[in-house]
Amino acid sequence: MVENEQERLIRQYAAGEITWSALRTRGFENYLEVLGALGELGLRPPVASMTGPNVAARERGRAVIREALRAQK
Amino acid sequence: MSKPFSLIVTDTSPLFTLVLADSLDVLLRPGLPVSIPDAVYIEATRVRGAPGADRIVEWINDHLDMVRIIPTDIGIDQQRRLEEGRSIRGLGEQAAIETLERFLRTDPTAEALLLFEDTDVEKRRAVVDERASLISTGDFLRELEAARLIQSTDQILNEAAARGRNVERQRRALEDGTTRERLREQLVHRDSPGLER
Repeated sequence: MVENEQERLIRQYAAGEITWSALRTRGFENYLEVLGALGELGLRPPVASMTGPNVAARERGRAVIREALRAQK
Repeated sequence: MSKPFSLIVTDTSPLFTLVLADSLDVLLRPGLPVSIPDAVYIEATRVRGAPGADRIVEWINDHLDMVRIIPTDIGIDQQRRLEEGRSIRGLGEQAAIETLERFLRTDPTAEALLLFEDTDVEKRRAVVDERASLISTGDFLRELEAARLIQSTDQILNEAAARGRNVERQRRALEDGTTRERLREQLVHRDSPGLER
């Protein structure tokens, strides 16, 4: 993969514009490479906003973790 | 939480992110059993010498009471593909779905939480049983941050990327070194009398 193309993809990924799955189809073989490329550009892995097709299941998931953490205290 | 519950890791990305940030233990903070499908485990650890791989193995062995590798049919297929040099892309997630189905079959009250990479869970529809919930690495860390169990989500993600950069630089340097070594060997052989073609 040409370096400029790789950089463009990583910037798009960090901005949440394309997915990790999409990166895999574009030449990134494992997530270590992605972390390395993010680090080179001074970027960090993106955190998903609470939007999209799985919001309800994700809200349930966060509630599960919250409850489990409370139970641990 | 009295009913059977499992946190299923669907992809290598949470493992790599957390291991590079030296934070794998955060996965254990909620006290839920962690299931890693064999295909995800193999993908995370198969690159020999890959930074983090050894530590992932060590971490699992240190927490066998809480962390399990789950054998799957997809994992068997993965082995076959690796032997044949074929792509194994996407098999980790398929193995996670198989793990989920097996787990939910064991008990009608069982529930599971699937841990995904952030952009995938945000953009791709995950078709899962109603007894399964989803969480991303970022969501997971944010909950820990809210509970004051970690200082900062961003700090962990920054650390993972910074260490990832160092790893990538070392890998390139190693590759360059190997390339230089091969070139040197070729030159030596070429200069040796009797070896010239």
